[in-house]
Amino acid sequence: MSAIIEIKNVSKEFKVLNRHEGLKGSLKDLFSRDYKTVRAVDNISMTIQQGEIVGYLGPNGAGKSTTIKMMTGVLEPTSGEILVGGNVPYNNRSKNAQEIGVVFGQRSQLWWALPLVESFKLLKDIYQIPDEKYDSILKLYRSLVDIEPLLHKPVRQMSLGQRTLSDILAAFLHDPKIVFLDEPTIGLDVSMKAKIRTLIHALNKEKNTTVILTTHDMGDVDALCRRIVIIDKGKMLYDNDIEHLKGFFGSYRTLKIRIDGDLKEQSELIQKELPEFSVSADDEWISVLVDEEKAKVIDVLGKLQHSYNIRDMQLEEISTEEVIKKIYEEGVQ
Amino acid sequence: MKRKGLRFYAKIYCKILAQDLKSKMSYRADFIISTIGMIFTNVAGFISFWILFRNFPSIKGWSYHEMLFLYGFSLISLTPVQCFFDNNWSLRQNVYTGDFIKYCFRPINMFFYYQSEVFDIKGLGQLAFGLVTLIYSWIKLGLGFTPLMLLKLIVFLITASLIMIALQNAAAATCFWIQNSFYVLDLAYRFRDYAKYPITIFSSVFRFIFTFLMPIAFIAYYPSLVILRPEKVPVLSWLSPVIGIAFFWLSYKIWMHGAKNYSGTGS
Amino acid sequence: MKLKKYLVLTRAGIMETLQFRLSFVVMVIGNLLYLIVVYFLWDAIYESAGTDVVNGMTFSDTLIYLVLATALFNFMEMYAVWEIGRSIQSGKIVLDLLKPMEYRKYLFWSFSGSFIAKFLLTFLPTFIAVAIVTNGAIPMGINLLYFVLSVVMAVSINYSIDFIVGTICLYTESIWGINIMKQVIVLLLSGATIPLAFFPDTLRTVVNYLPFQSIYNAPLTILLDGAPTAETVLTTLGTQLIWCIVMMVISKLFWKVSLRQITVNGG
Repeated sequence: MSAIIEIKNVSKEFKVLNRHEGLKGSLKDLFSRDYKTVRAVDNISMTIQQGEIVGYLGPNGAGKSTTIKMMTGVLEPTSGEILVGGNVPYNNRSKNAQEIGVVFGQRSQLWWALPLVESFKLLKDIYQIPDEKYDSILKLYRSLVDIEPLLHKPVRQMSLGQRTLSDILAAFLHDPKIVFLDEPTIGLDVSMKAKIRTLIHALNKEKNTTVILTTHDMGDVDALCRRIVIIDKGKMLYDNDIEHLKGFFGSYRTLKIRIDGDLKEQSELIQKELPEFSVSADDEWISVLVDEEKAKVIDVLGKLQHSYNIRDMQLEEISTEEVIKKIYEEGVQ
Repeated sequence: MKRKGLRFYAKIYCKILAQDLKSKMSYRADFIISTIGMIFTNVAGFISFWILFRNFPSIKGWSYHEMLFLYGFSLISLTPVQCFFDNNWSLRQNVYTGDFIKYCFRPINMFFYYQSEVFDIKGLGQLAFGLVTLIYSWIKLGLGFTPLMLLKLIVFLITASLIMIALQNAAAATCFWIQNSFYVLDLAYRFRDYAKYPITIFSSVFRFIFTFLMPIAFIAYYPSLVILRPEKVPVLSWLSPVIGIAFFWLSYKIWMHGAKNYSGTGS
Repeated sequence: MKLKKYLVLTRAGIMETLQFRLSFVVMVIGNLLYLIVVYFLWDAIYESAGTDVVNGMTFSDTLIYLVLATALFNFMEMYAVWEIGRSIQSGKIVLDLLKPMEYRKYLFWSFSGSFIAKFLLTFLPTFIAVAIVTNGAIPMGINLLYFVLSVVMAVSINYSIDFIVGTICLYTESIWGINIMKQVIVLLLSGATIPLAFFPDTLRTVVNYLPFQSIYNAPLTILLDGAPTAETVLTTLGTQLIWCIVMMVISKLFWKVSLRQITVNGG
């Protein structure tokens, strides 16, 4: 394993025009401009190894896209150092582009009016992919997904799922060292999501391609990533294994019970009884997030059994979704 | 990795162009209506020209047919900007919606990649109008014909076409910095209407401005003098190829600078 | 209080227009350039004619006419065809149709803000400047009142034409082609680029029977006529009024019919 991406103390600042409100404000803007500086990325460092799949997470506006744009050479960092495959991406944008693939879930980079295969052929020429390599990757694609029906369909006639799939295939076509996937499963149905995850996983295994994945879907993270990096407000909050992350909240478990009566009302009663834990209800279950450092699950269950007729119960580890939510809300400490 | 030379780009351009034409054919109604629109524009231009000048044997020493020659020359030299650089008109929209970012991820020249996406076939209609006008006035003026004249004509037409391309590139690139750059592009677009008049009708101040600051006199007036009045060609006419290339290079730099500054809206 | 919901749109339009301050600067530069070209061009034409009065207009008449035509154009042109065409293509039209007012009105009032801003920022200053510079060449009397009336009707006719052409976009995919045809026809046949007085007789007779001359030629002729007879005023304003009503009815009906067709076909 060798480092493919190295980021050292990188920050990025933007100048933003302050706009004033209302009719009077518009008049004011007509004659004066005042700018403020916004730090979108604040002193971030990380090293990513060849072949890793890294989940790059953070709430909206956290600075994820800005970091990705710096790694792809679109933006120049205000300070700090980035090396992608030994290149400084911003200075060698074109050279860097040869080594990377990019997919933006919402924006297709394929030629809108062309059948997929024509887009592939153009990309073959643009990336100067030799014939044998091109044939072998198409063979690989055929073994992984059913691409025949896609190949001769113009991109504009494809469904969102087919388009995303095509975009991912196009991004891997020139055998890049790194592929950046920005919310690849956004807006897709469950089965398409699963298909895309399997594809990414297979391509990563087959080609040892490094994958940087930004997403809001924890299903993607659970299915694909060993390591996750979390940023918020431009600052790095976390960079480690997903298992280790759960360790922060290892003492937390979710106790789910099923009882008679209106679950909403009952859950409010239980909340009063257990003020130190958070209680919630859905259509079937009442969930209690128990911190085992404060009380044993079994004791909580015993306490509840006194006052309620428990018909069924489940015990769950804290989910990634809940961990991430807790981090966004409270931070790692 | 192989170095990407002229041959590489020529090959890519031809392939993208062929694909673009194929997909254009799938929007047939649009294609036909746009072509009719283009013909309308040119016919209206000729009618205006005819209404204005039909009664006068000459304008400031320029005969009717000489004016027509200028007109034809300008139509031809304005064809490349129409055919090859029409995607500049969509630049603002691409930047505004953030779609422009896709042009940043390919290992080829961004300017080339962007412009290659659209070939506007309507421009060929304009070319036809221009050629007919030029040939008609050429015959009427009795300019004679030698291979050298043809060579001169071609060289000067090509370099003259670079001026309008440069103006449009620079105007389109303003969208990287300002919000409503449509007006800038529209302003530049209107220049093409002014190119067809001989610069001698202006006072010296504006002659200077239209020669050196907004070089629209190089779109038709200076280069066409080489053919039209070969006995006394001003130095500026001979310089016009250099000026065309220089302005094109400058506009390319501005465009690329803007594209590099582009950070992409949204996420 | 019904007017209030429309005035909200007006206010939003004014604010939006002001935010694009640079476009104003560019627009002013663009117009100045255009007028400079126009000035020298007509100067040359009058010089070639050798007389002070051509087709009943003096040089300063012609210039005032063209300057004010440009100013009128700037404040009347609202690119409504583009707006409608783009809404149709992007499907945004569905949302607009859900708004609790007629689409035709909704669009008009959305534009009204920029009308007012542009009227105050471009037309009025131009008018005052022309009046001062030409020192009384614009008669200041009852004709101003006629002029205002005439402009209001011109705006309405222009909008109706735009709306009709925009509706055609429901049937065709081509916005550019449709729009350019409209623009070329309106600008030429309305007398916006060349005063109708210069048109050859037969052409002028034809044009007089078309609605376009009511947009530019009518208000400007009535303004520049110092002592209009009751008959001229009545014919001019009467013709405009008729066109105003006819075009409005056509645009409304055409939209209604087209919309029904579209909703039936589920386009």
